[in-house]
Amino acid sequence: MSAHIGDDAALYALGALEPHEIAAVEAHASACAACSRLLAQAEADVAAMAAAQRQLTPPPELAERIFATPDAPTPLRRSVSRASWIGALAAAIALALVPTAYFYEQSVAMHDAMLADANAMARVASSPHRRVAFTGQNASVMYAPDGSWYVVVIRGAKHPMHVTWAHDGEQTMLGTAVPHGDVAMLYLPKSHRMDQLAIMSGGRVVGQAQLVF
Amino acid sequence: MQAPLDDEALATAFASKERWAFEEAYTRFGTLLYSTAYHVLGNAEDAQDCVHDAIARVWRSPDAYNRARGALRSFLTVCVRNEAITRLRAKARRTRLHERVAAEPQEHDEIAIVDVVEHDRLRAALNRLPIEQRQPLELAYFEQKTHVEIAAHLDVPLGTIKSRIALGLRKLGTALGGAR
Repeated sequence: MSAHIGDDAALYALGALEPHEIAAVEAHASACAACSRLLAQAEADVAAMAAAQRQLTPPPELAERIFATPDAPTPLRRSVSRASWIGALAAAIALALVPTAYFYEQSVAMHDAMLADANAMARVASSPHRRVAFTGQNASVMYAPDGSWYVVVIRGAKHPMHVTWAHDGEQTMLGTAVPHGDVAMLYLPKSHRMDQLAIMSGGRVVGQAQLVF
Repeated sequence: MQAPLDDEALATAFASKERWAFEEAYTRFGTLLYSTAYHVLGNAEDAQDCVHDAIARVWRSPDAYNRARGALRSFLTVCVRNEAITRLRAKARRTRLHERVAAEPQEHDEIAIVDVVEHDRLRAALNRLPIEQRQPLELAYFEQKTHVEIAAHLDVPLGTIKSRIALGLRKLGTALGGAR
């Protein structure tokens, strides 16, 4: 491993390194937990400087441009072993062939998403689960009887839709189901039972599901 | 709907590329990011382009951010600031190339006025630093000079400049309430 970054952390955060030095700092910090912490602290210090300056309201059109940014590719689950990945992939392909399921005639994009969410597919393929349809939306949720995972599938989705957990009079954001082809899917590994899920679009509830445990 | 998550949970979701986290990050930190870019670049149009491009690049890159890199707010702020500095230096190079150096002071004047009048909190914290730490830190932060340029400007050895900047930044971060 290269030498620890030391004082270069401050220079990196301030943008005061020479161009050829930047990559070396990033490469070392990515492999060294101590230097990564050092870098994070220097960045927090520079952010504190920036926050101590006059704050300006950004023009509304910037938000529009930011929100129009296309989705990022879902990161592959690197911790999945090769064997389990192949198994999960096989399960995903098998699921894609089930004619009555929601993966029928998916686009290539959906197929990519399925690969990326191989863990979810493996869960559905190999674990006992329950299924409940949402009211008000062509969607369903498959979930483990112990509440350890949930897969929300929305058919006919034209845009990303938020999934929330309704509890105690509040809605907690769980994530966004992003459409690939005609289907949007969201995998939610959880540690607790959620008996009421909702799908939101444009700030309002468009679908609700009552789960039974 | 309730404010769904704290910054820690938001950072985790952002690292996992959850779309809502991307939008929520801009909603929470947009003012800081835009202000950061503006203070470097000195005009609204360039600041907008800078924030958009920097955030979009982080978002599209699979490995740009993970939780080991610390607070999402700090990480994005530094990304935007470094993008702004890169643009400023590129612009300066182009300006020199076309021998239009006379066009430069206009933008720096705008920044300089803002610095003196409106950065009281930052200025006050800087003024409490020993001059040997304050000077190189100011040259790095306000004038976007590299440590090589600062060492040459102050006629101080490179290693000394590095350690003074690092020490000064740590003190300043503590004074301004940067998380430690």
